[in-house]
Amino acid sequence: MRGHRDLKLACVAAVLCALVAALVPWEIVRLVAALPLTLFLPGYAIVAAAFGSRELAPPKRLVLSVATSLMALVLGAFVLNIFPFGLRTASWAVLLPLVVIGAARGAALRRKPAARQARRRPAIPRPAPASLAIAAVAILIAGAALVLAQKPLPAKNAVGFSALWMLPTDSREDAVAVGVISNEHDYTSYRLEVSLGKSQSKTYRVHLYPGEEQVYEVDVPPRASGRTHVVATLYRKGRPEHVYRRVNSWLPRQTTFP
Amino acid sequence: MVQARLESLPVIALLAAVGLFLCSLANAMARATLAPTELIYWVGLLIIALPIFFRLSSTKPSYRERLVLVLLLGLALYGVKLVHDSIFFTFSDEFVHAFNAHNIEKYHHLYHFNPAIPTTPYYPGLEGATSALMMLTGMSSYGAGIFVVGAARLTFMTSLFFLFARLSGSARGAGLGVAIYAGTSNFLFWGVQFSYESLSLPLLVVVLMSFVEREEAPPASRSAWAVPIVLGILAIAITHHLSSYALAVIFVALAILYRVMKVERPNPWPFALLAVGVALGWLLIAARSTTGYLFPVLEEAIKAIVKTASGESAPRTLFHQASTTAETVASTPLAARAMALLAVVVLAGIVFVGLRQLWRRRDVRREPLVILFCLGALAFFAALTLRFAPAAWETGNRAGGYFFLGLAFVGIYGAAEFLRRGPNLLRRRVLLTGALGIVLVGGAISGWPWDIQLARPLQATADGHEIDSESLAVAEWAGERLDGSRFAAPEATARTLLTPGGQVAFGGQGPDIEDIVDEPELRSWQLPLLEKHHLPYVVANRRLNSEDTLRGMYFTVKDQYGSALREPGVVHKFARIPVGRIWQGGHISVFNLRDRP
Repeated sequence: MRGHRDLKLACVAAVLCALVAALVPWEIVRLVAALPLTLFLPGYAIVAAAFGSRELAPPKRLVLSVATSLMALVLGAFVLNIFPFGLRTASWAVLLPLVVIGAARGAALRRKPAARQARRRPAIPRPAPASLAIAAVAILIAGAALVLAQKPLPAKNAVGFSALWMLPTDSREDAVAVGVISNEHDYTSYRLEVSLGKSQSKTYRVHLYPGEEQVYEVDVPPRASGRTHVVATLYRKGRPEHVYRRVNSWLPRQTTFP
Repeated sequence: MVQARLESLPVIALLAAVGLFLCSLANAMARATLAPTELIYWVGLLIIALPIFFRLSSTKPSYRERLVLVLLLGLALYGVKLVHDSIFFTFSDEFVHAFNAHNIEKYHHLYHFNPAIPTTPYYPGLEGATSALMMLTGMSSYGAGIFVVGAARLTFMTSLFFLFARLSGSARGAGLGVAIYAGTSNFLFWGVQFSYESLSLPLLVVVLMSFVEREEAPPASRSAWAVPIVLGILAIAITHHLSSYALAVIFVALAILYRVMKVERPNPWPFALLAVGVALGWLLIAARSTTGYLFPVLEEAIKAIVKTASGESAPRTLFHQASTTAETVASTPLAARAMALLAVVVLAGIVFVGLRQLWRRRDVRREPLVILFCLGALAFFAALTLRFAPAAWETGNRAGGYFFLGLAFVGIYGAAEFLRRGPNLLRRRVLLTGALGIVLVGGAISGWPWDIQLARPLQATADGHEIDSESLAVAEWAGERLDGSRFAAPEATARTLLTPGGQVAFGGQGPDIEDIVDEPELRSWQLPLLEKHHLPYVVANRRLNSEDTLRGMYFTVKDQYGSALREPGVVHKFARIPVGRIWQGGHISVFNLRDRP
């Protein structure tokens, strides 16, 4: 690929981006590397291979590069699926640079030597400082709009709730996890009663901030025969006589439907 | 001087950013359950679009400036969709496709079963592409998906611009054509959701653009343009059924027209053959379930048209909720309906003038693709009548997105006639900008239900902490505690259980989960059906909108929405079996049918 600076650059960039995306632990760094690797470089190399020395206006080259990259991803997924290892970080990190290098090699072969000298860098417009400043403000405002959209906000009229749940802790089913989740708007207090069969029961005082969850592990006493009926009942502090939530389970569970 | 400054690209970009912020603010206020904020939203939308439309109508911008304006329009309006969501996908089809993407990430292979729409895993183009970004970055399907769909949207805008510029020979016309296309009812939300058509339609336009460029290219360059055409045809066949059929129909029609009109350029029959071959091949080899998914919908649509036309059934009332089971939702206000209808009138006017102009231009109407576009423009209005047939309105709405390509092209000539050189050009530019604004807003109104144009709260903060809606809370709990379990649930809850819950959740009517979870009495066939499909976990949700995949997953908001309830029997019938109730929240209970005495 001697004499084809753009192709060489594309190949080096593809390998570097693949290494960074596959090996670096920070998501944002991986994103910066993965975006050109997935959405630009494969298409750029394929378009270069297809067009060889023929003229293609830079805007069209750019758009075709992105579009062809999308097509390469779609078809790449189909190809990777054929192999036993399938679609993985490593397989994508190998396939995409291979596509770029293979297509760039094809492009280098198809380009005429004369075209190497004739190739000139496209003129990049230099905007006035005032225009740059306005564009920067526009980007800031657009960024603020996106950040605002990502942010959960207080919603006083949204009806909050609490949830009670119960599941066996493991496959042996000799204990249950009982959880209380508060999605209320305020700090809330509860009383949790867990009855195990007819004779045993345990009581817990639960205090939760909004969004908090409290989980209790309760041992289920072994039984020679039959099943133990475990019932968890939740009462709110203000209404101690009124059952607020109730869940139940018969342990050990059956494998058949009723 | 002042006008020149106001029309400069940085100022237009600044206004687009301000408009986007207003849209975000309106959505934020809606999520905060504050007073209705629709006006802020619509003003924001117009602040984004009108300056761009106005500048595009001018003769002054260069080719590149028009291209940047078109990109800016696409990017800013895509931003409007992004600020509608919170940090999750919230549109009904997005849950389905995100589930597919997670399955690819989890199992490292395509085609894993999807209980919501079983056909979707067999068109894995979007999810496969997204999975590359998910795996290489560690991002969620939401994060990766917005980049892939965003890239597709920008590709769409630019390819459409190039296509129109090449066919019409006018960059000004091309910019206006793309501006008209922004008024299609699916442009603002549907066309950029995380769903297969959001990728396939842009690729279809890239193929058409490459085809037109190939036609104009010298013979030596034609093989180069064939590369994106062939890759595009293959990629579309794997990505979306309807788009692949549409592309096959377009190429077959072109091949016939080339023959009939004795066009001197090479006949595109090889592309037609390839498009038909791969679409059919994929259907028959990989995606056989598509026939069982698509054809009943089309059959129902045809039956509905016949019934409505013969007076056997009453026509559908426009701007009304199609479902009879869901909670009553706020109807579209009269002014908004008038705006949507006015948009159709404006489009009809533009198309009428455009067709007349095209008819006069012998050179242009000798182009087979132009003839197809003219037919597409007329077909769009025919498809509008499908909105009166209850079971056909969605078919008409979906087809409209394709026909609108033709309408937007014909519209170029209508707009050009309006902007002819002569007196009062500035006034005519202002009028055209206003007309395009009406088309944009009207399209947005008719494309998405009025009551959910703005976001609803899925998450909120309380006392400085984050709280979740009940559907989201149960999905996250299941995701954390039950690894890939099988659920029967009302459809809205089933969607959140798919994503972010990661469970195999069945809803709807195939199998008939809808009746099992919605009826207050347990019928003899219901438990055997659940057993047959191995669905031990059943979600009973008392909220009336729990089957509504657009509204059923949000918080109930006092005096606004979500408070209507089903009979207590929908929950009690399972408790009475008796079986173990493993979750109880405000209105949702989860039962385990294998947990019993």
